[in-house]
Amino acid sequence: VGVVLVLLVVALALGLGDDGGTASSPLDGKPAPVLAGQTLDGRRFDLADLRGSWVVVNFFSTNCVPCKLEHPELVTFAGRHAGAGDRYVVSVVFDDTPEEVAEFFARQGGDWPVVIDRDGAAAVEWSVTAVPESIIVAPSGVVVTKVKGGVRAEELDRFIDDIEAAAGVSSP
Amino acid sequence: VSTPLAPGRWDRRRRQALSWAACAVVLVGSLGFGVFGDRTPRTDAERVRALAESVACPTCQGQSVASSNSPAAVNIRNEIARLVDAGRSEEEIVARITTQFEGSSLVPESSGVVGLVWVIPVVATVAAAAGLVAVFRRWSAAERPQPSDADRELVAAYLAGEE
Repeated sequence: VGVVLVLLVVALALGLGDDGGTASSPLDGKPAPVLAGQTLDGRRFDLADLRGSWVVVNFFSTNCVPCKLEHPELVTFAGRHAGAGDRYVVSVVFDDTPEEVAEFFARQGGDWPVVIDRDGAAAVEWSVTAVPESIIVAPSGVVVTKVKGGVRAEELDRFIDDIEAAAGVSSP
Repeated sequence: VSTPLAPGRWDRRRRQALSWAACAVVLVGSLGFGVFGDRTPRTDAERVRALAESVACPTCQGQSVASSNSPAAVNIRNEIARLVDAGRSEEEIVARITTQFEGSSLVPESSGVVGLVWVIPVVATVAAAAGLVAVFRRWSAAERPQPSDADRELVAAYLAGEE
């Protein structure tokens, strides 16, 4: 018991399990579920329109601290690929109001589509139970993995770069 | 020698027998209603409630989707309501939810080792009832007083005097 406690304390001290990590999901390796609906700015969004690009589908809430902490990372990631248009971020509101979210984006930045999911249908469709969760969708439209917890821009890029390298695709 | 029961004792036995019979009727009736009674939810709201009670909240400890107000539970309840509205069957709805949220079903499987949870209570109940009947019979037989020869002589003498 003592050894387990010591290991637990060490793990906590090192912050293991704090950051997001990939997790298995019933969606892995399957075509991404439909994600279509109205965005915060009143436009119509359809994930299918982004076929051919990598998409990070990020479920979040402004009430969630890890979501707030990861937001600058998403801003960095989206900004880095804004010109190339090869990798996108799409956010889905989870258990939050559009007003709160609009205020949050106005304050924290970020100009990617934010889909409103009023009745939680998208969250169920994407098997999301808690936020933040990010699902990485390949250009083929297949779900590659799910990241539970906050993401980091560098890790997202490294993850996608590794997959592209393994597949023999060169990054722009 | 058979001795007729006194009228008061006969009435008491008859009342006891009637009480036991009434208990048996109530017990069998309750069991029958519980097993064979129509518990099918009648309205869509009842169906949603019943289905929600059979799904575990994925972010809670020991709560069903029906009893939790966590965002995930609320979302799943909404999904169940949508599927009920769409006319899906109970089996289809449970399959859909358990596919999206693995391990969320609160209804044990009816086959394999897990299926024993359905069988063990029934076997235990039948065994317990059989054991009780056997014990009561043994007690009943052991406690029944047997008249001695002296008792029989006394009774015979009494009856002879009556005549």
